[in-house]
Amino acid sequence: MSTHETTVTDGRSHSVSDPILEIRNAEVVFEMDRGVSRVLDNVSLDIQRGEILGIVGESGSGKSMLASSTLDAVVEPGVLSGSVTYYPEEGDPVDVLELSDSELRQLRWEEIAMVFQGAMSSFNPTMKIRDHFEETLEAHNYSLSEGMSRAHELLSDLYLDSERVLDSYPHELSGGMQQRTLIALSVILEPNVLVMDEPTAALDLLMQRSIISLLEELKEKYDLTMMFITHDLPLVAELADRLAVMYAFELIEQGTTEEMLQNAGHPYTRALLNSTPNLDAPLEEMRPIPGSAPDPVAVPDGCSYHPRCPLATDQCVATDPPSEPVTESHLIDCHHWEESIESIPLNHQKEATTRTTDEERNPMDHQNQMEGER
Amino acid sequence: MNWWVKRTGQALFTIWAVVTITFVLIRGLPGDPGDRIREQAQRHNPDMSQAALERLIEARIPASYDDPVHVAYWEYLTSVMRGDLGYSTFRRAEVAPEIASVLPWTVLIMSLSTALMFAIGLGLGALMAYKEGSRFDTAMTGASIFFNSIPYYVAAVLLIAFLGYRLSVFPARGTHSDATDPGLSAHFIFDALYHATLPTLSFVITGFGIIALTMRGNSIQTLGEEYIRVAKLRGIPDRRIALRYVGRNAILPMWTTLLISIGFMFGGAIILEEIFQYRGMGWLMFRSIEHNDIYLMMGTFLIVTIAVVIALWIADATYGWLDPRIKSGDDSESY
Repeated sequence: MSTHETTVTDGRSHSVSDPILEIRNAEVVFEMDRGVSRVLDNVSLDIQRGEILGIVGESGSGKSMLASSTLDAVVEPGVLSGSVTYYPEEGDPVDVLELSDSELRQLRWEEIAMVFQGAMSSFNPTMKIRDHFEETLEAHNYSLSEGMSRAHELLSDLYLDSERVLDSYPHELSGGMQQRTLIALSVILEPNVLVMDEPTAALDLLMQRSIISLLEELKEKYDLTMMFITHDLPLVAELADRLAVMYAFELIEQGTTEEMLQNAGHPYTRALLNSTPNLDAPLEEMRPIPGSAPDPVAVPDGCSYHPRCPLATDQCVATDPPSEPVTESHLIDCHHWEESIESIPLNHQKEATTRTTDEERNPMDHQNQMEGER
Repeated sequence: MNWWVKRTGQALFTIWAVVTITFVLIRGLPGDPGDRIREQAQRHNPDMSQAALERLIEARIPASYDDPVHVAYWEYLTSVMRGDLGYSTFRRAEVAPEIASVLPWTVLIMSLSTALMFAIGLGLGALMAYKEGSRFDTAMTGASIFFNSIPYYVAAVLLIAFLGYRLSVFPARGTHSDATDPGLSAHFIFDALYHATLPTLSFVITGFGIIALTMRGNSIQTLGEEYIRVAKLRGIPDRRIALRYVGRNAILPMWTTLLISIGFMFGGAIILEEIFQYRGMGWLMFRSIEHNDIYLMMGTFLIVTIAVVIALWIADATYGWLDPRIKSGDDSESY
């Protein structure tokens, strides 16, 4: 077993060819009255330079902790252990967790920046947007005039009236404008990595779509690596090059978006794909996942998903499954992934084969037909 | 702009209402100020003719008690608007200059204590919030509650007993020593401040606690805001976060409190000024009630009301400028 695990770890470091961030055995622990709360459990992950990596998981699965860990910004009294290594384009790798305060201050925002969920609460309500940009530039000793002209450009790139936005107070902007402004503020120092924690939560569908396409443009223009954290699998699937799924504070599967959508191996990933609302799929085929996510103080032994898993065996209860490389890029933490692929059909695949023959199943077509008859 | 007209109108209405209510209340009190003047004048000069007496009363009282109420009310209202607050039978002088002569003393101790109270309270509260849960925080929270629960007049008596008499380091009574001539000399200013020490101290000691505790609560709430975390990640210097983010936003809810207390400043504190025999507004107000001196009473009440109304008007007017989320607008007043 142990020999198996070492090869897996080796395999993992090769899972991407040119990592910009390398997270190893990251763990976040909170001491609480009723026990130790482990809200990030032995997560190892690489982020490829220039990619968009989507992190998917339900609420309370540890996604935000993973995001904070990349910046060593876990909220007190949480304690982060493991290692986070940042590989700049030139120069030596940086051990993020060993940096001094002033080095950390420099790394944050200049190299790795972050966009938080809830843009409104990310701005000081009594300061104009312009002051937020200016103080950030000043704090990092960047040229103010250059920086502000970049701010204008960034805001224009995000289809905002830069002059108006800069002279506004946060509450004077709409939710979508605030979110785009926050994105501009996060890349004002031209970082290489942008970590986004639910950047589209609390926005309507149209605004979500437009932010997604803006992010793609931004990524191309400013040569960014992005880590996009969300609970919205279909949304991030459109954007991401690779996907990683979190469950109960662990990474349980990762692979290219193609692999994850077509060949997901973990029963949870497959259930997640099947639980996604889809206009094309009939309602009765949407499957919620029975049970609920585990309490961080009492995560089940063995595979943390076993109480909810239809395929669980004694082995799942006894031993935590190691990451198994199915392909070079596709890692699954499941003892029974082969069985899972066979026995849990994916709705969207089933549909793709049936749609052409069975038009009745598509309610939109059906409705059109009815209107035609009238 | 419309809002300003409305708000100013409200302020003026309040002042008018207070003038009217004071008039009605005092009209209801027993005793005719005219009689008192007549008595005083006759005692002073028994040979005074009836006509001369009537002229004297007419000159000193804006509204005679012989007139019907509506005439008397109108006369009072117009003379108040001209700044004529009537004649004080107790001080034997016009009310307005009488008030003007004691007001500076009250303003001196009240502004000193308000300034010190807020400076100490805000600073201490912010410090406690930053060290939330530490021994310093626990000790200072206890001390704040303890001092705040002492009535200021008890503190005043204790201060007089210890610092005033036993140790004799500060004067225990009066606004200035008789030997110094009022004027803008360094000696006089020092003497006035020296006399103001104990009254000011008794207010500050018993008043800073609630401000510190409020500031502590507001700061802790602000420190927990997401934008503080984002600002730290953005690398904003701690000093700027403490002042421009935490301090500024935590003080906001206390702005109105500050201005109202400035307004009430003009009333002084009757008990405090009595204890220290400090001849300010409170002292004058108490005397006027004691001597049933109707116009002096009305005058002092009126000054306090106007001060509070103006302070509130300033608070409202400046709040929108301090907190951009509050528009000085017509429909979004929420504080």
